[in-house]
Amino acid sequence: MPRFPRVLATGLMALALVCTVPLRSLAAQGEANKGQGFEHVHALAMDAEGRTLFLGAHTGLFRSENGGRSWQNVVMSERHRYLDVMAIASDPRDASVIYVGTHEAGVFKSADGGRTWKEVNIGLGGLDVHGLAIDPNVPAKLHAAVREKGEGVYRSTDGGGRWVRVDDGPGGEVKVLSSVNVSTGMGGIFLYAGTAEGLQRSADCF
Amino acid sequence: MGSLPTNRTVNGFAVSPVDPRVIYFATRDGLFKSPDAGVGSKPIGQGLKNMAAIAVSPKRPEEVYASTTDGAIFKSMDAGVTWSRQP
Repeated sequence: MPRFPRVLATGLMALALVCTVPLRSLAAQGEANKGQGFEHVHALAMDAEGRTLFLGAHTGLFRSENGGRSWQNVVMSERHRYLDVMAIASDPRDASVIYVGTHEAGVFKSADGGRTWKEVNIGLGGLDVHGLAIDPNVPAKLHAAVREKGEGVYRSTDGGGRWVRVDDGPGGEVKVLSSVNVSTGMGGIFLYAGTAEGLQRSADCF
Repeated sequence: MGSLPTNRTVNGFAVSPVDPRVIYFATRDGLFKSPDAGVGSKPIGQGLKNMAAIAVSPKRPEEVYASTTDGAIFKSMDAGVTWSRQP
């Protein structure tokens, strides 16, 4: 039995919301804005203070202090200057703490708002991290979705200090992982995964 | 009365900081919002396509950002009802 039953199962083309910005206008703007240098965007997150926006892309990690109008590249590692950033999780209580999951070098953590970074991969079976979730109630508790080598869901209870594999993970390629403060009724909260097979969630006492 | 076809790829996901049952997700076909933790949902941001990621401000739940795969950034100040592209 899959650990992550689908949340959204049946098809519905719901009524579109009334949008004050013309449909064609938005679409045209999107078309016109191709090629900012990110190449392929994977993740977006805001720090706990709601000031800094972080964007993860094929070309690295970027930060914006003005709501996404302009971006600065963030170098996380001299050894890995061109990291493919797949996931970002910001500590909901401490704006200085940010975690980043990468395609080739595992998880990075910053404790100073993104100025300096360290690799936090002890216990991870692989370094291709496609999802990172931080527990909104216990921010030192994280889950990471690893692909390929060592595939599965890993948990850390000490802010990335050490990881333990806890689950095979959902079916389908994980695109995003998130802990959601909705009670499972079993003493835990749900872990959601956006995957190539839809939105799934696990109630497995995470 | 579900929302997404079962095989729809979900690229991005975000949760309201004031009501965790309110979730947003980003797909190639656009943005969606659910009021009940994903049981039901409806499309938001009409006209937006190829969406890769979405984030909600932890301080201002009505302030939502989304990015296309190509890096066009859109911002909503009314919890996803209306969107404008960041210059």
